[in-house]
Order: sequence, then structure tokens, then C-alpha cells
Amino acid sequence: MTAATKPKKPKDLMSRIPAGFVRAVLRGHSSLGLAFAALIYLVCLSGSIAVFAHEFQRWESAAAPQVTTVTPDAVQTAFEGAIARGGPGVEHVYITLPTNDFPRLLLYVDAEEDRQFLADATGRIVPGGDGAWTEFITRLHINLHLPRTWGGFLVGLIGVALLSSLISGILAHPRIFRDAFHLRLGGSKRLQEADLHNRLGVWALPFHIIISLTGAFLGLTTIIVGVLGMAMFNGDVNKVYALFIPAPPVDDPRPAPVLDLRPMYAKLPAGTGKLEYIFTEHPTEMGGAALFNVKHPNRLAGTDSYAFRRDATIYNAKKAAANNLGEDILASAGAVHFGWFGGGLIKIVYFALGLGLTYLAASGVHIWLARRRDKGRPAPAWERAWAATVWGQPAGLAAAALAALVAGSIVPTIATWLAVSLAFLLAAIRLPAETLSRIGRLATGALALIAAATHLALRGGIGTADSMAWIVNLSLIAGGAFLLLPRLGTRKAKVDPASPVTA
Amino acid sequence: MMEVSSPLVPALLMLVGVGTGVWMLRQSWGARDARGRGWMFGGWLLIAASFVRPIWVLGAARGTFIALALFSVAALAVVAANYTIRQAKARAARESLAPEPSDRATTKGRETLRWLLAGPIGMIAAMGVGIAYAALAPGAQQTRLVIGGLIVPVAWGACMAWTLADNRILRATAVLVGVAVVSFSAAILKGFA
Repeated sequence: MTAATKPKKPKDLMSRIPAGFVRAVLRGHSSLGLAFAALIYLVCLSGSIAVFAHEFQRWESAAAPQVTTVTPDAVQTAFEGAIARGGPGVEHVYITLPTNDFPRLLLYVDAEEDRQFLADATGRIVPGGDGAWTEFITRLHINLHLPRTWGGFLVGLIGVALLSSLISGILAHPRIFRDAFHLRLGGSKRLQEADLHNRLGVWALPFHIIISLTGAFLGLTTIIVGVLGMAMFNGDVNKVYALFIPAPPVDDPRPAPVLDLRPMYAKLPAGTGKLEYIFTEHPTEMGGAALFNVKHPNRLAGTDSYAFRRDATIYNAKKAAANNLGEDILASAGAVHFGWFGGGLIKIVYFALGLGLTYLAASGVHIWLARRRDKGRPAPAWERAWAATVWGQPAGLAAAALAALVAGSIVPTIATWLAVSLAFLLAAIRLPAETLSRIGRLATGALALIAAATHLALRGGIGTADSMAWIVNLSLIAGGAFLLLPRLGTRKAKVDPASPVTA
Repeated sequence: MMEVSSPLVPALLMLVGVGTGVWMLRQSWGARDARGRGWMFGGWLLIAASFVRPIWVLGAARGTFIALALFSVAALAVVAANYTIRQAKARAARESLAPEPSDRATTKGRETLRWLLAGPIGMIAAMGVGIAYAALAPGAQQTRLVIGGLIVPVAWGACMAWTLADNRILRATAVLVGVAVVSFSAAILKGFA
């Protein structure tokens, strides 16, 4: 009998992993995923949307003039105008110059009360500079609206948890590569979710690793530098930073006229780069200084920087071409994390893959809930709580966008998001998961449509010159309709009591 | 002034190339005979070739990251286009061949220690490894610091995956404490230069 048996096909590497090890890793994967699911979901969802931060900023400032090029005189006029309106205690002014991606002249004044201004092509300060929604969504992703250091650390920890889940997810599924092309829809809800979870997990793995690694690295930078400074520089973290950024100018707090940027412009070397940012420090003190960033095309980390003293002498010049590997990695980590390196196409790809990662977080919990139900140990309270999280967040974000358009400031925007999120969690005490999911979908869709209508009413209307406002509004209308219309047709569909996980 | 190269044309070409390459891999996956090896070889070759143009046209680092993002999209599109419909079975629970998570006996103390290992102790050990790399490895100071910094989340993530899975919790404790002590000691003794 043995002689007649066909020779066994050699097992692939993953199939040789012992079953006991797989089950143990799967336990760890489940524990970690469940512990961080809601935070991973929130960070991934907000990150997917934050990819379009520049587009949202253009949308919010649609009524402001479009600026394609500016002269040094216009920048100086805008700079002085922003400082005059910025109030007392101006420490820094950050000037974002117009690019194809962002046709605005934007000035951020760091004073006793931080403020942001837009200017036209002549440098005159114009209204319409508030960007509450953009600030809300980016800060939610970067530090969850917590104090910067702690919020950043928490987001970094979430990145580590995601990275760990990727490692354990691969080890816990020995068939993940062998089944890489299986996508079986229908039948058991749990198996369908598992197929979607695993296919997304394996084919988008390069993206997931890049996002979680850069996210964790950026979030943990402060604490890593702190520990490094303690262990190796006698607690002086400035020595670590000094290796990467030019030393600040000698402090001289005596009052002085506003820095004159024009002679600094004149000293920038002619070349292929484009001036994108100017960072000024203590612009109304004798110790004032300015850092000019010149971006080179087709390089991820292609920014030259020139640091000027008040008298327009250069005290530090750093060419991107002379960067070492570490400087290149550090300079490109943010752009790689947010998808800001390949134009609109890559932003759309990042958005889609980011939503896929968001779905991965949601479906992991769905699979766990469905497994419990299959085993006769359903967890209806957790099903309700998870449905409230999965659909409460999109609804909360859509409500926050609406609040930002109406109120134009960050505090009511955060309050609205918090209120909607809490309302969904409170509703989960009484409402079943299916109802919460349905309400969440409808609320998100309706709020997206209302946000588009509100934007048309309050921020430039149909006559807006910036085509990006139209693109964002059309996307909101399409997204809102997508969430609303199928529900109208299927709201009376029979709900299968055996598979209550509908989110 | 030189403008940034638009990634649109190279990206579309790459999507076609990678999509075809992944489709060939799928043919290999479905083949029951020796032809499968040819499909597989050809598929990977086409995918690798599709990476070359974006890297060449859009810059080495920029092109690589654009290509990696597009690879996932093209591959998922091929997988999604070939979905199948599974009929619901009466005994759906038996349909799954997937392993179940282990149901290990544990105590509150062991679980607390396990999460301490995955959290703060794992973080300290990972930081030790990253800082030891920065202190001991050759190369430019900035490069050592940044790569050391990148090691931290990877090592911490691996610690989490391991300690939450390993049933021998005391072994994990000893290893992580040992790694932290050795790595920090080595880094401090060597210093940063």
C-alpha cells in the first residue's frame, strides 16, 4: 500500500510551522487586536482622510484668492501683515508658499494665541484663512487631540501594536500565502470576513508595513530622543536634535523691526529647486532668523535649507544632495507616511489602501465576534459596542466637518465629534448592532451631503474659483449618496439572525 | 525650473504590468501541472520589470514607494476580479479549516506580567536594542540614530507578538530583562561618537 501511495508534495515553509505555535500566536494576535482595535480603527480612518489635508484646506478656503506665484515683495508684505494681526508674543511665523498642490500663500503665526492667515498675490491679508476641519482631522490622526507629547506617544504605540499585529497575523495564518488568491464571498459571514481580512492583509502588506513603521517611528520620536539623550548625552536631548537641524541663532530679545526677507531671497542660489517654506524665528527681535526650504523635484528627501541671520548672512546651508542615509530617511518619513510624494494618484491610492487597513481593524473584531457566536458564546454587548464604534466614528467625523464649516474654529469641531461618538456609545446600551450600523450609515451619508450643501452656502458657493472645492464637494455628495441610497432599497431586507455582524 | 515628473503615465504602465504579472501568478496558483512553474516565473519577472520604469523615471526612493503602493492596488484588483460565490451550508461551523486560538490556562498575575512584557518592558528592551545599534554600529551618526530609531518599533512589535503568544512567560521575562540590561550597558559603556 505504501509503495502505491503518491509521493508527498514537500510542504512550504509556512506549513511547517507547528500547530501549537500557530494557535498560541493566534491567541496573541486576537488579544492584541482586541485591546487596540478601536484606537487602530480611529487612527487608520483619520489617517486615510488626512491624506487629503491640502485638498481639504483648499476646500475650506475656497473663497480665498488662488495664488500661483508670489514675488519676494508680496511675501514680505504678507509677513508684516500677519505679524501685525497676530497679536503679542510672536515667537515664530511659518510661511507656506504657493505650489501646484496648494495654490495659497499661507502664514501661521505662533504667538500667545496661534493664528493662521491667507494672503493674495500682492501680499494683502485676506479673509477665509480658517482651516478648522483640516486641523481637526490632522491633529486627530497625529495626537488624538491629546497633549502633543502624550498623544504622539499613544499614536506611536498604536503604530507598534499594528506592526505587531502584522507580524503575528502572518505567523498565525500558515495558509495565508497559499490561499492568497481565494476570495470567497457569500456563505458564512465569518468565512467571508476572514477571506477579505486575509487577502487585504497579505496583498497590501508592503503598504501596511510602511504605514505602521513610519507612523510608530514618527510618534515615538520624542520618547526615543529623550531616552537616547538620557543614556548617551547626559540628559541633553538638544545634542541629539543638533545633529539634524541647524543650531538656532544666538538669542537676542531686544525689539527690532520685522525681519526683511527680501535680501535673503536675493542670496538663494539659482538652481532647479522651488522655494516652498520659510520658517522665521523671533521675527521682531534682534536675534531673529529665517530658514528657507527649497524643494527639488523627484526626490523624496530633496529639500535644501538655508538659515539666515537678521542681516541676511547665511549661518547654515544644507544641501539635500549631501544628505547621508539617516538624514534622507528622516526627511522622507512624513511624506511616505501620508502619501504626499506622488501627486493626486498616489493620494487616492493611499486613501483606498488606508480604508482597507481600517477595514482590516474592523473585520478582525467581526471575525472574533462571529467565532464566539458560532461557538454558542455570543457577546451581544460587544457586538453593539463595536457597531457603535465602527459607524459612530464616520458619523462623528462627518458631523465635525459640518461643525467646522459653520463655526470655523477647532473647539466646537472637537466637541461635536466627541458628542456624536459618545451618543453612539450610549445608544449601544439599548440599540441592537444592526440598528446602530444602519443609523450610523444613514447619519454619515446625510451629514456628508449636508456638509457639501453648507460649504456651497458659506464658503464660496458655486462661483468658487478653486476646482478642488468642487472635487471635494462632489466626492462628499457621491460618498453620501453611496451610503444613503443602498440603504433605502434594502432597509426591509430580511436580517439573518445567525449573523448579526453587519458593520 | 525643473518640474516634478507626473507619476501618471509610469503609474498606469506599472498598473498594467503588475496586474498582468499577478494574473500570471494566479494562473500558476490554479494550475495543477508543470505549466504552473512557468506562469509563476513569468509573473514574478513581469512584476519585477514593472518596478523598473517608475524607479527610473520618478527617482529611486520616490519611484520605489510609488511602485509599492501601486503593486498592492493592482494585486488586490486581480484578486477581487476573481472572487467566487460560496453557497451557505447548513453546518457552516464545520466549513472552516482555520486553526482556533489556544485556550491556555492562566492567572491574573500571569496575564498582568504578560501585558507588562508586551508594553513597558518590551519598550525598554526595544529601546535598548535601538540605542545599542546607534552606539555600536558603524556609519554616519545620523544614519545610526535613525536606523536605531526604526529598530525600536520593529523590536517592540516583535516583543509584543512574542510575549502575547509565548506560554512560557518567565522565559520571556528573563530574555527581555537580559536584552535590556545588556544593550543599555553596552551602549553606555561604548558611548556615542
